[in-house]
Amino acid sequence: MTALAGPPTAPPEPGTRPELPRRSRARRSRAGRTMQGGKLAYAILIVAVLVSAFPFYWTIVAASRSNADMARVPPSLLPGPNLMRNFEAVLEEADIGKALLNSLIVSGSITLGTVLCCTLAGFAFAKLRFRGRGALLAVTVGTMMIPPQLGVIPLFMLIAELQWVNQLQAVILPGLVSAFGVFFMRQYLVQSLPDELIEAARVDGASTARIFWSIVVPVARPGMAVLGLLTFMAAWNDFFWPIVALSSSEPTVQVALRQLGGGYVHDQSVIMAGTLLGTLPVLLVFGLLGRQIVGGIMQGAVKG
Amino acid sequence: MTLTASAPPASPKQAAPPRPGAVRRAWQKFSPYAYIAPFFTLFAAFGLFPLIYTAFVSLYRVELQTPGDMQWRGLDNYTALLSDDYFWLSLRNTFTIGVLSTVPQLVMALGLAHLLNYKLRGRTFLRTAMLLPYATSVAAATLVFAQLFGHDFGLVNYVLGLVGIGPVDWQTGTVASQVAVSTIVIWRWTGYNALIYLAGMQSIPSELYEAAEVDGASRWRQFFHVTLPGLRPTIVFTVVVSTIGATQLFGEPLLFEGSISGGISHQYQTLGLYMYEQGWGFFHLGRAAAVAWVMFLLIVVLVGLNALIARRRSRKEAVR
Amino acid sequence: MPIARAAKRATVRLGAVALAGALLAACGGSSDGASGADGKVTLTVDLFGSFGYKEAGLYAEYEKLNPGVTIKQTDTEDEADYWKSLQTRLAGGGGLADVQGVEVGRIASVVQQQADKFEDLRKYGADKLEGEFAEAKWAAATGANGEVLGLGTDVGPEAMCYRTDLFAEAGLPTDRAELAEKWSTWEGYLQLGKQYKKKAPGKSAWLDSVGSLYSVMIGQEKERYYDTSGKLIWETNPALKEAWNTSVEAARSGLSAELDQWSPQWNQAFAAGSFATLPCPAWMLGYIKGQAGEAGKGKWDVAALPGGAGNWGGSYLAVPRAAENKEEAYKLIAWLTAPEQQAKLFQKHGSFPSATGAIEKIADAKDPYFSNAPIGQIFGDAAKAAPVQVLGVHDQNVSQQITNALSEVERKGLAPDKAWRNAKKGVANITG
Repeated sequence: MTALAGPPTAPPEPGTRPELPRRSRARRSRAGRTMQGGKLAYAILIVAVLVSAFPFYWTIVAASRSNADMARVPPSLLPGPNLMRNFEAVLEEADIGKALLNSLIVSGSITLGTVLCCTLAGFAFAKLRFRGRGALLAVTVGTMMIPPQLGVIPLFMLIAELQWVNQLQAVILPGLVSAFGVFFMRQYLVQSLPDELIEAARVDGASTARIFWSIVVPVARPGMAVLGLLTFMAAWNDFFWPIVALSSSEPTVQVALRQLGGGYVHDQSVIMAGTLLGTLPVLLVFGLLGRQIVGGIMQGAVKG
Repeated sequence: MTLTASAPPASPKQAAPPRPGAVRRAWQKFSPYAYIAPFFTLFAAFGLFPLIYTAFVSLYRVELQTPGDMQWRGLDNYTALLSDDYFWLSLRNTFTIGVLSTVPQLVMALGLAHLLNYKLRGRTFLRTAMLLPYATSVAAATLVFAQLFGHDFGLVNYVLGLVGIGPVDWQTGTVASQVAVSTIVIWRWTGYNALIYLAGMQSIPSELYEAAEVDGASRWRQFFHVTLPGLRPTIVFTVVVSTIGATQLFGEPLLFEGSISGGISHQYQTLGLYMYEQGWGFFHLGRAAAVAWVMFLLIVVLVGLNALIARRRSRKEAVR
Repeated sequence: MPIARAAKRATVRLGAVALAGALLAACGGSSDGASGADGKVTLTVDLFGSFGYKEAGLYAEYEKLNPGVTIKQTDTEDEADYWKSLQTRLAGGGGLADVQGVEVGRIASVVQQQADKFEDLRKYGADKLEGEFAEAKWAAATGANGEVLGLGTDVGPEAMCYRTDLFAEAGLPTDRAELAEKWSTWEGYLQLGKQYKKKAPGKSAWLDSVGSLYSVMIGQEKERYYDTSGKLIWETNPALKEAWNTSVEAARSGLSAELDQWSPQWNQAFAAGSFATLPCPAWMLGYIKGQAGEAGKGKWDVAALPGGAGNWGGSYLAVPRAAENKEEAYKLIAWLTAPEQQAKLFQKHGSFPSATGAIEKIADAKDPYFSNAPIGQIFGDAAKAAPVQVLGVHDQNVSQQITNALSEVERKGLAPDKAWRNAKKGVANITG
């Protein structure tokens, strides 16, 4: 435990500290000094971008062809005419439609719940005084690095006991637990919410609840957005627990994809069509908010 | 009335409600707990309890069909584990796949971060594009790569065939399959780590570079003598996170061929997959819990080792 | 602070997405009620592999015969996945369908370990049906106290499917009677394979995988993994060892296309024509049609299996205790497994009936896809002669370990005794 915990006030590396204002100022001051990228730098980076993007392109190619095309040498590298047909097949065979809906429900609920819980707790840890604050924060941070996968067996027994197997709440409720989120919001509020603001409100006779809604939340909003984005993507992509707790009759997208990968009847281009459909929503979020995600990660996210 | 005023706020005999000020003071003392309560309730039930209870379950025989029925087995689950060759094999695979995926990934990420730190046109685009794989789910990425690594009709073997290599059996070969699985991990995480490094690089004070430049240090020397030492905490952080990620690697090997044994000879079965096979392939939940607990210990040891090495190195450098 | 400002905008967008999700959660919860007061019932059927009911139009027919009934089927392709998911739902309550399919390799587990989780169908009058089914099929789903835990669907009498076009190109006879004679023993089958290999068209192999060879061979035995007392005997079973040895020989003679059965590569190989023979239980016919498609029509034929009759697979339909519409569910499975429907399914999909009445009905069936092979007669003969198998709790998992080990010999060139030891380790893990 001790190896993982570390003192709560000293995060494992500077990057995890969401010190927004200082960071961007530092960047600006360095920008003038930074070396101009040469042709070679561009070439390497473009190759890296191509490598990053190629599997997506390939998914589109494969999803728009037929199984027979996929078993052809040399393989075809351009999209074909079968995209819609394969979408139909995969909607029929793997019930991707229901999976998408379920994933939206699960990820949406987890995102809202996590952001709310973590902001509340983060605020308490950052700005309120109470007994056991240090210890509780230490426990939270201490478990931050422990993969939740390790608790999956008792969790399953618990869910089975509650008769929740194959029901969405079995995935939603455990998904709300984010030690990282609490820590993230605490750091964010420590950095960006001046104590004077709260004290001034107190003097004016505002209750803590009032302070939370009308002072803390507005200040915390950018941090909440970043946390929400990361939580949404993590929840959408979560794999281990959903395949344990759900089944193909009540799938999330990842469960449906696992089903598609199971072999048996399916044709390759239909599998790829399913993969494409299951990835599109995150790509959409990424397309709209990619910059914020990049920013959020650079402020310091933890894998997951 | 004056009497009540000087009396302790909540006198039991007095039916009159205590003054608002007292309520507020009491509330102010306890209200912080209301703010952490939602999180800690969930955390206790779905986070902490399962982690701790795992150790308990690992001492019992519990079958998936009858999770309520637990029979005491003492350390039998552990001894069975230690005497199973496939456990040791999956431990070894976890290690080799971990190295195969983590090392190239972090080295490449470092290089890319260095380049991204140059003054570039379209750097937002470059950064976003590089993070794209991170947005993909394990399942989606693995299905695509499994297709690319197909034996007869996979693109990878086709391209290798053009230069006269192959066909490589990416499924059956021990090294080949581990390389293939590692490739998926590398693809998904390199861009992410590059951005972490980039953030770290940008927080290195520019005065250090200026001083190095005054000393006439070349770009390379600057990279090794300013950038790398400045990045050390970041590097330690990414190594720790990647190590933990590698220890619990699961989705990639499961979906690569859809086999819970990680290939016909368990050649790319990781500990995570081994645990899943025990629990949800053979239905031995108690045994699976023992695997989980071993994984936990492993993570603690690895992270501890990491910290130790990092500390030793920094001390050495301080001496120099 | 561009990030913070943009992030503020992001909050709004993200909030909208999340809210949409949460609202859906709130509305979606209650819409699943199955039976209404107006006599309308939605029956859920959860199956694995391809039972073919939907494709054969049987659901549509039942819905027409029973106004107010709607049938919804879910289907997991991989039986191992299906079984895992069924077990978790049986343990944890939620989401059991009204009808659940059970593979014959799992029926012993249902009877011996989970009899209390499935309906005793005698309650609904199933005991009257006993005479309609093959004796062994019925007995396997009967509990210690006579409970009827499932109704038999199909059985898996075995034959050999082969590609007439590839045979002709390689200079082998294509007549099914002649072939049946030439490969009356497994030795003869391997001989023919070696002959094929010399003039094999393209890169095609004689056989898809040694796993399928092993599976049909072990299907010819009465005792496989367990003896009648329920003891695990596979290690010392001479018949199993013989099936193993023949498979090893096929692997070492390079007769196999080294495909992993049920994998995408295996699926692709049907269209590509990568192998000339495929040992086929009756239910495989539907699979071949699905994978090889229209292009394969007339290229395939079916002959009697080398080494005598056998059985591989077959299934049951059962009703879980936790099902919502038990009585309606029973009516449906009784109808689906009645002789008329079983006969129809055989003609459309190839699944061979376990109802004796149906077997007579299809005696003359021929299949144009398989060069008009008299499949009714070939599989009917096999079904009659096939041994009554002793079933055990872990049949399916144990056989998986053995075929895995055989694949190691086949695809990695592992020494057979090493592979055998690996199989032993795997089985120890299962039973431990």
